Amino acid sequence: MINLATFVLSLAGFALLLLAFPRHQQDWLRRKLAPGKARTLRLLGFALLALAFLAAGLGLGWGYGAVVWLGWLTVGAALVVTAQANRERILTRLRR
Amino acid sequence: MAASKMKTEGSSLRQSMASVHTWAGLLPGWLVFLVFLFGTAAFFQQEVSAWMRPELRGTQVTSTALEAAGSRLAAEGQGAESWHLSFPHPRGGDVLGLAWPPKDGDGDWTLIDLDPGTGQPTRVRATEGGSFLFKFHYNFHYVPYWLGRYAIVIASLAMLVAILSGIVTHKKIFADFFMLRFGKGQRSWLDAHNVTSVLALPFHLMITYTGLVIFAYMLMPWPVTASFANEDAYFEAAYPSQTSVEASGRWAAVVPIVDLTAKAEAAWGRLPASIEIQHPGDAAAVAILQPVRDSLGRGAPPLQLSAVTGAQLDSTRKSSAAEATRDVMVQLHAGWFAAPVLRWLYFVAGVSGTVMIASGLVLWTVKRRAKLPDPKRPHLGFRLVERLNIGVISGATGAIAVYFLANRLLPLGLASRAEWEVHSMFIAWGAMFVWAIGRPAKRAWAETLAMGALLYALVPVVNALTTARGLLPSLIAGDCVFVGFDLIMLATSALLALAARRVVSHKPKVAARRKAGATQEVTA
Repeated sequence: MINLATFVLSLAGFALLLLAFPRHQQDWLRRKLAPGKARTLRLLGFALLALAFLAAGLGLGWGYGAVVWLGWLTVGAALVVTAQANRERILTRLRR
Repeated sequence: MAASKMKTEGSSLRQSMASVHTWAGLLPGWLVFLVFLFGTAAFFQQEVSAWMRPELRGTQVTSTALEAAGSRLAAEGQGAESWHLSFPHPRGGDVLGLAWPPKDGDGDWTLIDLDPGTGQPTRVRATEGGSFLFKFHYNFHYVPYWLGRYAIVIASLAMLVAILSGIVTHKKIFADFFMLRFGKGQRSWLDAHNVTSVLALPFHLMITYTGLVIFAYMLMPWPVTASFANEDAYFEAAYPSQTSVEASGRWAAVVPIVDLTAKAEAAWGRLPASIEIQHPGDAAAVAILQPVRDSLGRGAPPLQLSAVTGAQLDSTRKSSAAEATRDVMVQLHAGWFAAPVLRWLYFVAGVSGTVMIASGLVLWTVKRRAKLPDPKRPHLGFRLVERLNIGVISGATGAIAVYFLANRLLPLGLASRAEWEVHSMFIAWGAMFVWAIGRPAKRAWAETLAMGALLYALVPVVNALTTARGLLPSLIAGDCVFVGFDLIMLATSALLALAARRVVSHKPKVAARRKAGATQEVTA
């Protein structure tokens, strides 16, 4: 359960960080967001990653939780990268 | 590359770091690839052992087995200086092991494998199981262990340099954090190298650094020679063996093993990892029980009991802060403490590191192929790197499947069977190496990768044909280890097949790549 929470928070955090990059906004939203909005997304993204750390630390102990957190960060980021690499396919499917 | 123009202070630092990264990454790259490949597999060491000992059903140690072990020690081990019992790891894969040193001083140790359930000698096939994968990743094989270990320690140091210089050089890695573009030649290799490096960067730094800490005394022996009379004195101080007792000369029987394990179960809630009994049969005999090492942080100290009465003796000393720090680093490196979910995360990060090194090695050739004066006849250095890449990356990966196949196919009665499993792996690897040298590069990649895919696909098939524990029966029995093992073999096979197909369908766009190379900033 704690693992799932840590994973979902990391995944969501990295997804927001991805959308905070202007060139990825172009990829996914077909437009660029205002700099203020991008900043908010970036802050929210980091906040979610911090929340993931809290969840892992409180649920599994700080030492063990920290290792678990880093592990899920890797997996979360890897999934976001996979999505980014296949964005055209995903977007076509979504539009249908 | 090294001759590139110096623009500003910052870019010249980055460019010199780029050549550091290139060469500190390339030269030890093949060794470090092997370390990562086998080390990653060794995160599942116990599970691999369980799969390689299919006769072993369940590793719950019964009191019947402990009684049988005790009477066997008393009968056959009488007169030995010490007795050693090793208990199956909680994750399985091991037998109940008995051992004692030669009674007249020289000769071999006596080793007896008992079934943990019945206590009778097992009919488990002779194999090194997962522990071979584990030992290979820090000792190598066929060379004296210290030689392999020195090679690995020096290569790991270079690896740490490569990681750190890589971070400095590729300042864009964080701007390109999410970039992975397929089908763009060199750019794609660079993306793959970046992504596998950056996403698991905490793991790469941790595993390389802690690996060096474990063997720091080899890398920096001078503090030891300055502070201790000899290396043994250092080891005695750093890893103190338990107080060895003097024999009293009076005879006394050893308490039943069950009485000793009961003390461990009272203290730790489970069986010990091992028991050593010093001077069995003497009135002063001592039993030292080691706890299973699977927690993060300062673990329980060993139990020291009288082997005659079972009473607890003065407890062992507390470890110092420095020892505790070192212990945590070892634990982080080995991941013994990791529960299944975290173990899988370790595995994923390890695979990422393996791919990072492989893609870095391939990138070296991809970057240079386009700039070769005559691409048909590359110079010797280029050919050497290219062939080593194929033989090591593709060859070693495929050869591990042969280790598993040999475990199922070698006759059970074969002399030195466990050694032959290992020999089989190296013979297969050698064959693939020769193949890699003899064929044109592209074909050599495709063919060795396809061979690897075939070998991995064969593992579950051969397992189903030679044991009663194939994928289907294991699924029905809900046997996670056997099901998981077969599925991992199939997944590896699929990935290698995919890689082989990619190589075959790859059409190098020389002109396009030249153009891309010219506009690109100096990386790698």
